Amino acid sequence: MLVAASPTTGSLIVFPDLAAIFPLLVVDFRSLLEVKHSSRDHVEIGSGDIIPEGNMSDEEHHFESKADAGASKTFPQQAGTIRKNGYIVIKGRACKVVEVSTSKTGKHGHAKCHFVAIDIFNAKKLEDIVPSSHNCDVPHVNRTDYQLIDISEDGFISLLTDNGSTKDDLRLPTDETLLAQIKDGFAEGKDLVVTVMSAMGEEQICALKDVGPK
Amino acid sequence: MPQEEMEAAGSAGEKRDQETLESVRSVVFKPSISLEEKRFTKVAGYDFNQGLDLLGLLDSLSGTGFQASNLGDAIEIVNQMIDWRLSHQSPTEYCGEEVRNPAYRESVGCKIFLGFTSNLVSSGIREIIRFLVQHRMVEVLVTTAGGIEEDLIKCLAPTYRGDFSLPGASLRSKGLNRIGNLLVPNDNYCKFEDWIMPILDQMLTEQTLEQNVIWTPSKVIARLGKEINDENSYLYWAYKNGVSVYCPALTDGSLGDMLYCHSVRNPGLLIDIVQDIRAMNGEAIHVDQRKTGIIILGGGLPKHHICNANMFRNGADYAVYINTAQEFDGSDSGAQPDEAISWGKIKGSAKTTKVHCDASIAFPLLVAATFAKKFHKKANTNTVC
Repeated sequence: MLVAASPTTGSLIVFPDLAAIFPLLVVDFRSLLEVKHSSRDHVEIGSGDIIPEGNMSDEEHHFESKADAGASKTFPQQAGTIRKNGYIVIKGRACKVVEVSTSKTGKHGHAKCHFVAIDIFNAKKLEDIVPSSHNCDVPHVNRTDYQLIDISEDGFISLLTDNGSTKDDLRLPTDETLLAQIKDGFAEGKDLVVTVMSAMGEEQICALKDVGPK
Repeated sequence: MPQEEMEAAGSAGEKRDQETLESVRSVVFKPSISLEEKRFTKVAGYDFNQGLDLLGLLDSLSGTGFQASNLGDAIEIVNQMIDWRLSHQSPTEYCGEEVRNPAYRESVGCKIFLGFTSNLVSSGIREIIRFLVQHRMVEVLVTTAGGIEEDLIKCLAPTYRGDFSLPGASLRSKGLNRIGNLLVPNDNYCKFEDWIMPILDQMLTEQTLEQNVIWTPSKVIARLGKEINDENSYLYWAYKNGVSVYCPALTDGSLGDMLYCHSVRNPGLLIDIVQDIRAMNGEAIHVDQRKTGIIILGGGLPKHHICNANMFRNGADYAVYINTAQEFDGSDSGAQPDEAISWGKIKGSAKTTKVHCDASIAFPLLVAATFAKKFHKKANTNTVC
């Protein structure tokens, strides 16, 4: 399977293995970019489909657009089992737990877990009190490394995925130190690899590595 | 001669003895003034040869002495509170025609404030309070947060008898909370939490989205009385009969814990205590010609809150305290009615007494001899054809 970008039209051209049997599939660039990347290298497209849908012939991959309220964004976990440095969803935001305290059943009712957590994308502090026997949503948090190709004028970043395509929908991070590191590093022409953290349909660059020669 | 001297000495000694005896007698057997029986009651207790007569027993309290006498006085004062009518005093110069109307004056009675601490609601006194509110015999209640929630919780699950000596650590491990010699299982509070959370959500919606309601402690309490919808609850009757219940420290109990947990998940509920102090003081100010009476069980917030409101009308006319607090430490809880007179919270001419007794004993007896007696007398006269 070969996936290549057409330099002229900007559309993605997919050459399946058995080129004689399967027709050439020209797929819209943007719709492919809306999919969530897992750590797998390549994407497969089912036979006969022009636009990839959620149900694929290969069960290992999930194509989900942003509009799809996929169940795999979070999984339930009993509040009493969530520990410090774990993840939790508070008010729809994916957060990392910095403090957990419990109070036993008493005058305040059922035993409760008091979470203090930081939103992993905008660093805001959020709190929640949950009865310890209730289930909380825990977000799936994925980290993927990409090579930095370009920074555009309007703040978008161009990244090289492992299979050779580019990912252009990410903005520069808001964190000032990281932002400065990326800009400076790129301006100096360094080879940079960024780690993109994704959870709950949101993505952001969270770390930077210099992989160039010393 | 020695013998003559001795005889002279002997008679002198006798005379000295006599004088000593006379002076001692004049001290020990000092003649007393006679006590006029009009002003001084003779002491006599109840004679059980008369049989088992509750009202007779209660009548005998005045003459029994010590705190029984104070309770007898309290009964007398509360009966005066109940019996007073505007027609008992002549109209003032400036009042209008309607107020001069004798029938109207006959209908206007004394406004009674009842204050009590939350431990009494945990106890069986809650049933006595419910009786008073059910028949609208009192008009204003003031209590603490526990006085609200314990009444509601009892409708969801019961409180049990325990013992003062049960060890705390052992009780904690079993999930039992001790209030004196009563026990409240943790489970009761879990039931309360499950019951109240949806109501708080609904109240928040009414505040922000729907009706722009401004919640106050008394409005919250009326709402909870409406929601519990149980005839065993005094709050239900307070809601039904329009008896205002004030509780400025509404957060100081399990209710506060529920408000806290609710506000973390679903923030925004506001409870306005300023509006309530307007209403509470208004209860005392806007009584026009009526007299006010206060009955306070226990000390703390309910005691002071009621007395303070009455200060705005230059003092209550009748006051009965039933509590075990002492005044030697200067506390307000232990302060006797005379201290309140110095503040203008009770009138100098008021009829007052303090019964130094646990209200769990004194209050049922007080109500039996006053409110309940009048209620059943009225019921009996109504049934006589």
